[in-house]
Amino acid sequence: MLPLFARAGAAMVPGASKLPFVGGGGGRDVPDLALHLSDVAIDPDRLSAYNRVCGFDLRDEIPVTYPHILAFPLQLALMTDPSFPFGAIGLVHIANRIAQHRSIRSSERLDIVVRATPVEPHPRGKQFSLISEVRVGDELVWEEVSTNLKRGGSSENGGKPPGAELPKAEDLPATATWSLGGDLGRRYGSVSGDLNPIHVHPLTARLFGFKSAIAHGMWTKARCLGALQARLPEAFTVEVAFKKPIFLPGKVEFCEAAVPAAAFDIQFGVRDPRKGSSHLDGRAFSG
Amino acid sequence: MNTSVRRVAVLGGIRIPFARQNGPYARASNQDMMTATLEALIGKFSLQGEILGEVSAGGVLKHSRDFNLTRECVLGTRLDPHTPAYDVQQACGTGLEAAILVANKIALGQIDSGIAGGFDTTSDAPIAVNEDLRQVLLEINRAKSPAARLKALAGLRPQQIVPQIPRNSEPRTGLSMGEHAAIMAKEWGVTREEQDELTVASHRNLAAAYDTGFLDDLVTPFLGLERDQNLRPDSSVEKLAKLRPVFGGENGTMTAGNSTPLSDGASAVLLAGEDWATAHNLPVQAYITDAQTAAVDHVHAREGLLMAPTYAVPKLLERNGLTLSDFDFYEIHEAFASQVLCTLKAWEDPVYCKEKLGLEAPLGSIDRDKLNTHGGSLAAGHPFGATGGRIVAGLAKMLKEKRSGSRGLISICAAGGLGVTAIMEAA
Amino acid sequence: MSDRYQQLVNTPIGKIVSKQIGLPAPVKLERYERGQPVIDGPVLLGAAPGGRLAGAAAQVLAAVEAEVHTALEDDARSAAADAGLDAQVWSAETADEEQRFKALVFDASGIADSTELHHAYAFFHPTIRRVKASGRVIVLGTPPDDASGPRQATAQRALEGFVRSIGKEVRKGATAQLVYVGQQAEDQLESTLRFYLSPKSAYVSGQVVRIGASALSADGIDWEHPQAGRSALVTGASRGIGRAIAQVLARDGAHVIGLDVPALQSELEATIGELGGSTLVLDITDDDAPQRIAEHLLEHHGGVDVVVHNAGVTRDKTLGRMSDEQWDMVIAINLSAQERINEELLARQALRENGRIVCVSSMSGVAGNAGQTNYAASKAGVIGMVHSMAPEIGKSRATINAVAPGFIETQMTAAMPIATREAGRRMNSLAQGGLPVDVAEAIAWYASPASGGLNGTVVRVCGQSLVGA
Repeated sequence: MLPLFARAGAAMVPGASKLPFVGGGGGRDVPDLALHLSDVAIDPDRLSAYNRVCGFDLRDEIPVTYPHILAFPLQLALMTDPSFPFGAIGLVHIANRIAQHRSIRSSERLDIVVRATPVEPHPRGKQFSLISEVRVGDELVWEEVSTNLKRGGSSENGGKPPGAELPKAEDLPATATWSLGGDLGRRYGSVSGDLNPIHVHPLTARLFGFKSAIAHGMWTKARCLGALQARLPEAFTVEVAFKKPIFLPGKVEFCEAAVPAAAFDIQFGVRDPRKGSSHLDGRAFSG
Repeated sequence: MNTSVRRVAVLGGIRIPFARQNGPYARASNQDMMTATLEALIGKFSLQGEILGEVSAGGVLKHSRDFNLTRECVLGTRLDPHTPAYDVQQACGTGLEAAILVANKIALGQIDSGIAGGFDTTSDAPIAVNEDLRQVLLEINRAKSPAARLKALAGLRPQQIVPQIPRNSEPRTGLSMGEHAAIMAKEWGVTREEQDELTVASHRNLAAAYDTGFLDDLVTPFLGLERDQNLRPDSSVEKLAKLRPVFGGENGTMTAGNSTPLSDGASAVLLAGEDWATAHNLPVQAYITDAQTAAVDHVHAREGLLMAPTYAVPKLLERNGLTLSDFDFYEIHEAFASQVLCTLKAWEDPVYCKEKLGLEAPLGSIDRDKLNTHGGSLAAGHPFGATGGRIVAGLAKMLKEKRSGSRGLISICAAGGLGVTAIMEAA
Repeated sequence: MSDRYQQLVNTPIGKIVSKQIGLPAPVKLERYERGQPVIDGPVLLGAAPGGRLAGAAAQVLAAVEAEVHTALEDDARSAAADAGLDAQVWSAETADEEQRFKALVFDASGIADSTELHHAYAFFHPTIRRVKASGRVIVLGTPPDDASGPRQATAQRALEGFVRSIGKEVRKGATAQLVYVGQQAEDQLESTLRFYLSPKSAYVSGQVVRIGASALSADGIDWEHPQAGRSALVTGASRGIGRAIAQVLARDGAHVIGLDVPALQSELEATIGELGGSTLVLDITDDDAPQRIAEHLLEHHGGVDVVVHNAGVTRDKTLGRMSDEQWDMVIAINLSAQERINEELLARQALRENGRIVCVSSMSGVAGNAGQTNYAASKAGVIGMVHSMAPEIGKSRATINAVAPGFIETQMTAAMPIATREAGRRMNSLAQGGLPVDVAEAIAWYASPASGGLNGTVVRVCGQSLVGA
């Protein structure tokens, strides 16, 4: 197992090996923990497998979404900490924002810190975010805000869902149709380490109320950025909101539109080809 | 239609370090390597957002799905997607042939700028299904009913499922290129020692090219590799002498040391008309003056498979009023040390020059101190399609550093009895 | 004429036996058959630096369409290129173990002093063991007399010992020859080189022959039929060697006039009839024989192109026991008749331009032989005649030469006592007797209109006999 350390709280973080739906559920607010993983090397085999499943060309610079899977064990560890107020399995990943301050080369050694923001109200429940930061030495090169929803509870009129201001995929021109295989969840799951049963197989997905396995949100985001790879600058922010789940196997439309005259501002999304409803709304922009 | 011919400028090139088969690039596809290389070239010459005349590139080992690979690479870069592209394939001559194609279009005024490139992966090589299995699968595909499909499938035998890994062999002779080279080595009486000496020189020269910084702007790191993986700066004749022969039988002279290893890599060169170069504020390093291809009959006439450049170069020299000694640099692709030596011996040989090349006198000798002065394929490795770009980019810089008007000769042999050659001159 | 020993030794059991008891195992020599190439197998051509004969040799090799090999650094390679030979590359260092050559041809004319003899060593050292069965080793040199000084003459003369020793070292029917080519005689090499390369010279080995300059050119010759349009008188033509000579000259396109004594008329007519020739029946020792021959030739053939003095007899007795008749008869037939005929033909100008007189001498004439004082004297006399008449005949643009057969399997030798016969057969480098055709081929070589550079020479057809020089 990866060496996990608690920066605040001092104790070794247990539970990384626990199943995601077992842990947590104790406290009312997220614990004041920061999990730290230092001197992380990038495994070329894993990188190339990730790039292939997500549609990135293999380059020296790692995909903007790649550090997410490096931070994922810490995120999981945090959410399965006994002090964590929610069981990880009931959480819905609703938004993800990444700011890349410069591209990261595959040869670089990374320090990763993950912590959680306080719980906030959401129209349909409660939300909190996992903040992940990647540094090379002292240089902050990458940040992620990954927002999760816990449905239900006291949230009548509170809060604003993240990404509400993002352009809607249904309003953008489709530029590609993607056919997604039934094994996509397993493939991405084995590369990313996110083996949540709702993704890996229709039978396990049904246990959690889905009619079939659903695509990982972070795969969908990565696949969009793979499609945009050639146009991405060195430093930018990419923000997405995850809307309706994508059932596997299935077909989706990729939509994109560059905002004219902007230095770098691309609106994009993934939608249902028949209904036009969004699976993902997104925007990548300088800044 | 434009009837005048313009000078074709080489503005520079770049490549990723060449890796050995199943080395650091084991998981990289041709598209990955070529795209990364194009990106590096785009960065070097600030080509992002540019519409170039064309991008021409190719490789030898390609998947059938990569029917439009170069175009896909372009779409994966920051070049304007309006830049057209196409794939070229001429075995080991691919890279140089791509440069010639782009150069000719520039010369004719059809385009003003272009990138010529090449790539190859021996690690991520295509694997074909056994021909029997392929037939069964096609039959299943044609079958209209499940019963017919089942029937077709029933014909399948376990041994038919064994995949076919592409072999580096000549279709018409069944011999590998190494075996062909061994025949040539024997025909020309090339000794083990000569081959090992040439190999050591290649390593020494390439190591020096790194150490002096010559390659700093010609090679861009990729996937953690910063120098060509095959390079052995401490190579010596004594060490090479310990290797066992791999081609030509037990008493053969060809070893893994004096033959190029299977390699992965990619290269790219930016070519342009002078006006375009001026408009983009990019200095001209060298000009591609002329080029010539040729072929031998290795099938019926027992000619040496890798001897085609010996035919091409005399034509090139005659057309340009030059002799073999009129060059400051000779870049002879080292597929095998023996093949370089056979080529040199052939040009010195009165019999070969008269009988094969129709020359009254031998073409002549070259000054070995001018041969592959910054290393050759023996040291760098030889991702088939990428070698041409490596050589053109390197030679352009050598010529630029030498002096105005200096001249270089490129000679590349290729499978199928092909040869691709070119002359370059310093700006 | 059978050689039972050879037949026996070449059976599987015989081979084992002969090996066990240490007898030499003579190989079956390759002999020329009509339509064969001059040389069937690769030829390695080499030259000492600065030689002048590789070019001529290369041209001959090109003309006979030989598969030629040369070393890359060798002077001979340029010569090969000039001759239009697509020569393969020879490298002692990298050659296959199995690489063999049918002939090694070395131009030693560039050897200027004894230290440079090393070039000959260097050429043959790695190659001599690669000579095939019935292979050929041919060294070309400059006649010591034509050398530029004593040191060159010495070195060139040294080649004789070198080549003769090679002849004794090579096995399996291979032969070795030294050909001295005089200054300005380079263009006369072809007929000799063709002969030595080909199976026609099967039983000739260890010979030194000198080619001189000649105004006569072999240009345009039909090498398959060099005697086409020419007439050839062969004495003693009804049987044995004479018959073989007639056959070979007829094969080469000559109209053969067979001559023999009346006693052998029917045999003669049978032999010559088969060849489409004509006959002349007379005893050459008759007083008027030379005149009748000359008249016959002038009348029926307008002269003659080739005269082969083959007729000969033996009357063996040790000198003390030898009768007058035995002495006189041998001298008369074997020597005096030849002299008188030659004189008459020359006087009547019956020998046409580019004519050839070829005499049959004998190993006994070279080395002497017990019981053959008469015979050896006559045959040594033939050599003397050839030497002495050559300058005169050369002036009339013709040549005179002799062949000296060794042990040739004929009725004559079949009648020998077995010990003598076996000794005669085996005491040579090829460890066997020759055949009449071997003598005939040598004569045909001299008789060729292309052999104008050979005059006053003697070549032995003896398998390099241990006897004599």
